[in-house]
Amino acid sequence: MDSPSRPDGDARTRRGPDAGGLVLLLLPALAVVWVLFGGGLALGLVQALGYLPVAGLGELSWGHFARVLTDPDFIRSLLLTFYIAGTSTSIAAGISILTALLLASLVERSRVIHFMFQVPLTVPHLVIAVAAVFMLAPAGLFSRAAVALGWIQTSADFPLLINDTWGVGIILTYVWKEVPFITMMILAVLRQSGNALLDVGRTLKASPWQRFRYITLPTIFPAVGAASLIVFAYTFGAFEVPFLLGRTYPMTLPVWAYKNYSDIDLLARPEGIATGIVIALVVMLAVVLAQMLTKAARKRGVIL
Amino acid sequence: MRGHRYKAIHFLLLIVTLISLSACSEEPGKKAAEQNWEDIVAEARGQTVDWFMWGGSPAVNAYVNGYLAEQLKTHFDITLRQGPVQDIAEVVSKLVIEKQAGKDKDGHVDLMWINGENFRTCKKNGLLYGPFADRLPNQRLVNWDRPSVANDFGEPVEGLESPWGSAQVVMIYDTARVPQPPRTVGDLLKWIRSHPGRFAYPAPPDFTGSVFVRHIFYHVSGGAQRWQGPMDQAAFEQAASDTYRVLKELAPFLWREGQTYPESPVRMNTLFADGEVDFSFSYHQAEASRNILDGFFPDTVRTYVFDEGTIANTHFVAIPFNAADTAGAMVVANFLLSPEAQLKKAAPDVWGDFPVIDPARLPAEWRKRFDARPLGTATLSDTELQSRQLPEPPSEILIQLEKGWQQHVLKGR
Repeated sequence: MDSPSRPDGDARTRRGPDAGGLVLLLLPALAVVWVLFGGGLALGLVQALGYLPVAGLGELSWGHFARVLTDPDFIRSLLLTFYIAGTSTSIAAGISILTALLLASLVERSRVIHFMFQVPLTVPHLVIAVAAVFMLAPAGLFSRAAVALGWIQTSADFPLLINDTWGVGIILTYVWKEVPFITMMILAVLRQSGNALLDVGRTLKASPWQRFRYITLPTIFPAVGAASLIVFAYTFGAFEVPFLLGRTYPMTLPVWAYKNYSDIDLLARPEGIATGIVIALVVMLAVVLAQMLTKAARKRGVIL
Repeated sequence: MRGHRYKAIHFLLLIVTLISLSACSEEPGKKAAEQNWEDIVAEARGQTVDWFMWGGSPAVNAYVNGYLAEQLKTHFDITLRQGPVQDIAEVVSKLVIEKQAGKDKDGHVDLMWINGENFRTCKKNGLLYGPFADRLPNQRLVNWDRPSVANDFGEPVEGLESPWGSAQVVMIYDTARVPQPPRTVGDLLKWIRSHPGRFAYPAPPDFTGSVFVRHIFYHVSGGAQRWQGPMDQAAFEQAASDTYRVLKELAPFLWREGQTYPESPVRMNTLFADGEVDFSFSYHQAEASRNILDGFFPDTVRTYVFDEGTIANTHFVAIPFNAADTAGAMVVANFLLSPEAQLKKAAPDVWGDFPVIDPARLPAEWRKRFDARPLGTATLSDTELQSRQLPEPPSEILIQLEKGWQQHVLKGR
């Protein structure tokens, strides 16, 4: 948020070391990021270009990328992955905004609610995916409960929620897992900003909707945006949930990458890594694009 | 040319080596061929055998580092050292490099646990010591006429590796639900068509799903024997496309109408236990019994093998070409085949691995102990299993079938 009244003096006193010193201070963290992340990516790129001496591959070429990108399944997988990541992120963000608003006042008082919201954060995706199988499968817990309660005749009448065409199980799992995360991010902002601005709005006779649209939303937007981007990047690249809850075919890009990488045929490995790099590129592109859109919106004076 | 200089250096080195060797009595590798077994056992005393193997199973590790290490130390004064690896292919690729670099002796690997594709790579590149298997006294307990022992995924073993254990596919069913299961692959296909939605198989390249496809492949192409040895590409393609056609026509009658497949045998077992499907199958003959013990399957679950047989594979141990302690490695390989070690390994609470020795070749008292060992409620007897074994096809057939299944059956192209 750009606020014209930002006190310059404050900013100056906060600035500690100069630029050079800053780089030096950040060096340990940057080194880890560059060596582990950048190095891994570079090694991956080399292998995706076909350098794999164990399998007797030694020549570098873009052929593996070309083969991945021209595969008739690529667009299908890409769209499916986009659909799953986009839908789960949007639903999770929407629910999180509502929950955060509802909880904003409650959490102040109740440590229990706060704690309850932190629990899902600690549970690995894999565990939740397996739990989803047990609960949502046609012979799962919910289906059996519904039969026992007489809501449906047999478990075959239970709607298909996992390994289904629309990825319902995958999206439900992601929403359950990511809502607490986004909510916590929003709550942190809401708690900091306090109620002063809302009180001002109220004295100026702003309606609840106006207060939400012009005060709360702009306050929480950076947090929602950042958290959603993280969630999108994660769900776009995650493998375990679609592997367990998705259909065998078509498969999401991460599952496709895994399948190729773990193929008994070592020659398929470069294609798996090439797919992984495509995933990384798409995610990076999404982040850059989101930043640009936000900037453009601000320039046009949209209050965000 | 550079080659000449290298040759000269090699020659020099050779002379130096020969001179230094003449100080010792004889070259051990040369002698081994004429050695009788007592000499080998004597030479093995005090040796440390480095055995490289997949280290992902606590049961296997406990058996190797506990029982085997103790027995070998007590009876043969051999120190067994396990080299656990993620994948034995790592060791094989290291051997390839050592071969290229000319490191022909004093290698740090004395024994490795391999089969299939890795054995093939070793054999093709001359990475193995031997043939040594026929010289192990306990080898007479193994029935080498069984095709799943004589061929390792279609590759003739030729004494270059010694069998250790085996696994066989069994069909799993519940007598309470299906009292008369279909006894042949053909009847199973008919059963699936008349019971829509009650059968599933994991999607290849899952190991278990893949072996199901190979059973269909054998069924439509008239048996396993013709695929052993060199492959006839044209005949294979005909048989493979028949296989895909059969499976494609079968898909609408499968669980979820073949729109999706279980991703693993674990999931298939869950579907079976939940009553969503009526069959499961496993590449481990004792798995159903273990699942009954765990309370996962009901007590009425049983297993069977098809009348024409089910696919079995054998896992082996081999000695690298540059192993430092070949005598010790051979004594270990021989001990692995002893009735006591095989019986211990087969105990359900130790490992439960299938004995590779033929009970009929054992002395009466040992045969009794093998027959009397607790198998578990649903496990078939060794004799019944061993009389109905089919060998695996060569691994190139396996790979092509997995790829083809995904192209034609899954994606419908």
